[in-house]
Amino acid sequence: MAEHAISFGKLNKYYGDHHALRDVSLDVEYGETLVVCGPSGSGKSTLIRCVNGLETYAGGTLSVLGHTVGDDERELEAVRKRVGMVFQNFNLFPHLTIVENCVLPQIRGIGRPRAEATEVAMAQLDRMQVGEHAQKFPDQISGGQQQRVALARSLSLNPDIMLFDEPTSALDPEMIAEVLDVMQELTRGNMTIICVTHEMGFARAVADKVILMADGAIVEQGDPEQMFTAPKHPITQEFMKAVKS
Amino acid sequence: MAIAALPPPATQTGVGAWLRKHFFSTWYDAILSLIFLALIFWVVSGIWTWGLRDAIWTVENRDACGHGVGACWAVIQDRHRLILFGLYPYEEHWRSTLACLAVIATMILSCVPLFWTVWRLPILWIVGFGTFVLLMRGGFAGLPLVTTEQWGGLSLTIFIFSAVFVLGMPLAVILAFARRSSLPVIARVTGIFIDVFRSLPLLTILFAAAVVVPLVLPDWLQGDKLGRVIIGFSLFFAAYQAEIIRAGLQSIPDGQVEAAVSLNMPFWSQVVDIQLPQAFRNTLPSTINQAVITFKETSIVTIIGFFEVMASGNAVVGTGEWGQQYVEVYLFLAFIYFIFVFGLSRYGAWLETRMRLGHG
Ligand SMILES: Nc1ncnc2c1ncn2[C@@H]1O[C@H](COP(=O)(O)OP(=O)(O)O)[C@@H](O)[C@H]1O
Ligand SMILES: [Mg+2]
Repeated sequence: MAEHAISFGKLNKYYGDHHALRDVSLDVEYGETLVVCGPSGSGKSTLIRCVNGLETYAGGTLSVLGHTVGDDERELEAVRKRVGMVFQNFNLFPHLTIVENCVLPQIRGIGRPRAEATEVAMAQLDRMQVGEHAQKFPDQISGGQQQRVALARSLSLNPDIMLFDEPTSALDPEMIAEVLDVMQELTRGNMTIICVTHEMGFARAVADKVILMADGAIVEQGDPEQMFTAPKHPITQEFMKAVKS
Repeated sequence: MAIAALPPPATQTGVGAWLRKHFFSTWYDAILSLIFLALIFWVVSGIWTWGLRDAIWTVENRDACGHGVGACWAVIQDRHRLILFGLYPYEEHWRSTLACLAVIATMILSCVPLFWTVWRLPILWIVGFGTFVLLMRGGFAGLPLVTTEQWGGLSLTIFIFSAVFVLGMPLAVILAFARRSSLPVIARVTGIFIDVFRSLPLLTILFAAAVVVPLVLPDWLQGDKLGRVIIGFSLFFAAYQAEIIRAGLQSIPDGQVEAAVSLNMPFWSQVVDIQLPQAFRNTLPSTINQAVITFKETSIVTIIGFFEVMASGNAVVGTGEWGQQYVEVYLFLAFIYFIFVFGLSRYGAWLETRMRLGHG
């Protein structure tokens, strides 16, 4: 077993001329919940999208559960089998029913037989309290329900790591809580979680560690108490003031 | 129109209220409605008297043709075999009928969602086409050999259409993905191929396939003329359909593939399970439209010497004997085309509802 669940070493990333990640070094421990904050455009999405290889990077090292994330397709596959991701826009497959959204990736992604996959899917959907909608299509349920389905879809593959990219940013205010509740339950288990979020109350409740990014770099990291009540870096202070008001 | 003449119903939701709301709400609405009513009546009664009431149906009564006022359907009774089977040998027409039914059954079955899997659809079509070719061609088990030059009529039309569709569609999918390839060479070459085939008239392509290719290719590579024509036609169809599919692929948000990737779904599954169903769903009306155009365009193969249903119809009125009855013959042909085209568009409409396109 590798020393850290996820380990970034001086990671750099460019979009053309734009330097999107600057020398990012960061270790995430097993079972830890890491919250990533920072203003829009600071590179939060880019950072977590590197973890499962949705983005390539230009320099530095990145190892996930002992696998090197890079050009090697086999290593990437090994990583993706164990890393789940939940997006801001849910990204459910609109042409498939809710249950099929959860079943198909199991069949294709890890070769689970359909009967077993259906059982797992239903268990996860029930856990996310959307089991009753199993036969509906995504556009027939609310945003909060869709996001919980997306969560169930990822969890059906039994990941060791979950990545959340602003999972509640596209939701109407009254639905945010229902998604945060099920996420909070997840953080109590031994899953390793990276969550990009602007929900500071949630972050404070669940985070083991908080980092703040600005302009592609990590400007400050620390435990949630310190980060939220006594930030050291001026950018962090400013950001915390902005999100509190 | 007895309903309209009834006294207004007590409630405002009856048929009378509906009619009044939609057809007679203002005086000019009323006038327009009456004019169109008269027009419809005139057309329908014309069709009824000419096409049915006064029509001559059997060859025995053919002497009346041309003198009476009714349609002379006797020509269809007399020559339907020529129209439906072309030059196919008379005693073997049952084979052509069966072959035709086999392909139609395959078409209908492949419209059923039950068959939409990676394995079932290809197997269905191989069996369907295999049955068609074996039956049409014969040359085994005591069935006399009938070469493709003698194939004709409706079964040829349907065969060409479905072969073009079935060969062209996978090719279109490949072209669409190739044109979106991240390798510039592949994308560029595919783009040129598509643009060239779209800018050439279909007739040119078919001529080249029928006449020019044999001059260029060695004998063993030439194959059969019908085969070459179908391949040329398929390339033409694929070039157009590829652009339709590409538009469909472009309309899929990036997040769909990203979700599939992060769920570790392999590339083929991203294509087959996620991208293609959505691309087809997004472009269903254009795809059905392309199929309808292709069906109607099959008549162009006449020019390079194939005796499909349109050419057979021409042959019927080309003989002096039935030369006066061209209206009846072309109406009959139009009816045949109508059945297929109408079927296709109804199927498209059904698919749209099924895929809940209406919900956006
Ligand atoms: N595909 C892309 N092409 C070009 N620039 C991009 C792309 N994705 C993100 N960027 C840029 O990189 C920076 C960081 O983006 P992102 O990681 O999405 O920020 P965040 O998630 O913190 O809002 C932004 O300035 C953004 O404009
Ligand atoms: Mg972002």
